[in-house]
Amino acid sequence: MTTVDNQNFIRVLVADDDEQVLECYRDAFGVDHQAGQIEALDALAADLFDAEEVCKDTPKFDIVACNQGLDAIRQTAAAAEKGAPFDVIILDIRMPPGIDGVAAGSEIRKIDPDVEIIFVTGYSDIPVTELKRRVPPPARLHYLNKPLSFTQLADDVVTMVREH
Amino acid sequence: MPDQPTSLPLQTKVSLTLLVLIGLFIAASYVILGLVIAPAFDDLEMSAARSDLKRGEMALQTDLDNLEALTADWAPWDDIYSYVLGASPGFERSNLARVTLENLSLDLLVIFGNSDRLMWGQVLIDGKERNLNELGILSPDNPAGSLLTSHRSADNPTAGIIATNLGPMLISSRPILKTDNSGPVAGALIMGQFLNDARLARLRERTEVDLFWSFGATDDSLPLAAGDIEFSTRESLISGQMWLEDIHGAPYLLLQSSTPRSISSLGNHTVDVALLFLGIAGLIVTGIVWIMLRMTILKPIDRLGKHMRNVRQSGDLSQRMDKLSYDEIGRLARQFDDLTGAVHEARQALLDQSFKAGKADTAAEVLHNIRNAMTPMINGLERLRRAFKVTESLRVEDATSQLADPECPPDRKDKLLEYINASFKHVARVGDDATEDLKIATSQARQIEGILTDQEKFANVAPVSEILKVEEVLGEAVHVIPKEAQPEIGLKIPGDLSAMTVKAHRIGLLQVLGNLILNAYESIQRCKGAEGRIHFEAELEMLADEPMVRLTVRDNGSGFNESTSKMIFQRGFTSKTKGESTGLGLHWCANAIAGMGGRIRAESPGLGQGAEFHVLLPAAQGG
Repeated sequence: MTTVDNQNFIRVLVADDDEQVLECYRDAFGVDHQAGQIEALDALAADLFDAEEVCKDTPKFDIVACNQGLDAIRQTAAAAEKGAPFDVIILDIRMPPGIDGVAAGSEIRKIDPDVEIIFVTGYSDIPVTELKRRVPPPARLHYLNKPLSFTQLADDVVTMVREH
Repeated sequence: MPDQPTSLPLQTKVSLTLLVLIGLFIAASYVILGLVIAPAFDDLEMSAARSDLKRGEMALQTDLDNLEALTADWAPWDDIYSYVLGASPGFERSNLARVTLENLSLDLLVIFGNSDRLMWGQVLIDGKERNLNELGILSPDNPAGSLLTSHRSADNPTAGIIATNLGPMLISSRPILKTDNSGPVAGALIMGQFLNDARLARLRERTEVDLFWSFGATDDSLPLAAGDIEFSTRESLISGQMWLEDIHGAPYLLLQSSTPRSISSLGNHTVDVALLFLGIAGLIVTGIVWIMLRMTILKPIDRLGKHMRNVRQSGDLSQRMDKLSYDEIGRLARQFDDLTGAVHEARQALLDQSFKAGKADTAAEVLHNIRNAMTPMINGLERLRRAFKVTESLRVEDATSQLADPECPPDRKDKLLEYINASFKHVARVGDDATEDLKIATSQARQIEGILTDQEKFANVAPVSEILKVEEVLGEAVHVIPKEAQPEIGLKIPGDLSAMTVKAHRIGLLQVLGNLILNAYESIQRCKGAEGRIHFEAELEMLADEPMVRLTVRDNGSGFNESTSKMIFQRGFTSKTKGESTGLGLHWCANAIAGMGGRIRAESPGLGQGAEFHVLLPAAQGG
């Protein structure tokens, strides 16, 4: 099972029908363009003001985004074939006009029984117990409601993968 | 609705069937009576006529038998035997006289000796003595004379009817013998009685039959053999006739009887009376059956049909039939009522569920869309927060103060300038990113506003109206008040509301009434010390020529003053303290009632004097 590879990458697949939400995921799980600038500032501050330089071991994400459940299933299958399966798959539940996230999660679970699946939705009329029944096992199934902080989600994903 | 084939009403069909049945019954009765009963009377009558004729014949035969008996009494007698032989000359003097004929009711008495020697004879007609030769039957050359005046043996009597020149008569002749019937035959004794009108009258009297006779055969009067009987029927009587033979065996006396047709007349009368009775009885039975059918089947079916039509036309599935019987039709009506009741409840449940499902779907969609829209906005603000947190940690102030220090070494000054420069660049970048994030937040806020605007469009869709019983809706709406509190505040729904029906959206009306009742209850609660009362009224009134039901909710709670009454239906207005308000608000109620085509207004005499809320709603059919 791949968790954090040598390059410290965490492979994340995101499926959501809202492009702006996908953009948020890309922002939260993508490269921080200001990181170098902030690190340079921190280094200067440490040199000038005897401040402690924060030593960061920030993991990097390899994020793949799609907007339909079937695409998510295809991406999962392709990643598994290449021997580079995803560590975490984040699925929206309502993704019209295609299949919903629960159906996609159920198929994904058949392809990769160990992947962590996170359902993130603005509203679901499917109870969590039903989700757990359709996409077992419950220990690798997570459920979050929008709106949520994707930065926090990224931190949770790191914790989730490291504890796995 | 497609045209349905027309048919006679059930009541007409039953009436016609019963009329046909009574017609068939009367016709069958007429046929049976005419073919069976009436002929039986005719047969009986014919039998009576035959009996009458036979009685006449038998009466005549009896007379002849009596005459023979009398002859048989006189002929074998030693005295007359001696007289005929000439040995008893005194016999004539003492026994043979006119008085003898009168005493014996004879018209003829003749005694012959052997060799046709006339010894003594006398014939009387109407009391007058006539010459024996006038009879024309006693001369030896007459065929009858040889049968009468001489007998070859002791057992050779002659008796019967005979035609004489003086008229037909019954005649009997026997050989004269000794008293012990020993012979030899000494002569002949002849006795006779005329068949005259007097004898016929006696026969009629004895037989009680209207008898006639005629004598001598003619060509027209000989259709029958002797002894045969013929009847001819006329309107009022039956005539029978038969020939009787004379002593020569030839038809001579035509005996006739006339029998009144009283039996057939009685039979016809009986048949007529029976027909009349059966007809009346049939009509009475048919009438009773018709009434019973009408009372027990036709009328209940008609009522059930009207009830079904009313339910269909009004669409009010809560209607029920009253005064139901316990027979099959009553059970059918109850089952129909149960069925409509179940459909009514199912429709209510479906409406409720549909309404809730619609609301749930809408809420789910709105939640999903708004939360999706909020996600980028929140994440943009999160990025902002993090970026500004970094800027807070910048030590630009320290750097500028150290730069201002003249003792600061030049290489440090260079680094400080580099730090300040880098800090400003970072702040500038943060500012640019913040501008971008705020743009996103603004865009998402507009998106949320768009979602809400879409919802506003759906809010204008009119809800489904249905026919509602005021009593039922009120009964459901009062549940907003805790059950244990209801007796305390004298909450009672008067029975006269049961007839009131309105056309409105059920759930909306329930919420409005529930809100008004809850307001009244809370108003009473605020007005501590008073015995709380909530009273309901409903009455019909016209509004712009439209029938409306005015429903009043009256309480004796805290009421309100005039200034409040002007604002009571305004958006956001409440007389309750913060956190106390639990209802939908009177503004919403006013809008909901207006949406149902109704009106609402509030009245109060003043603070502490209770309040009245009047809800006007369109009356349903029958109000």
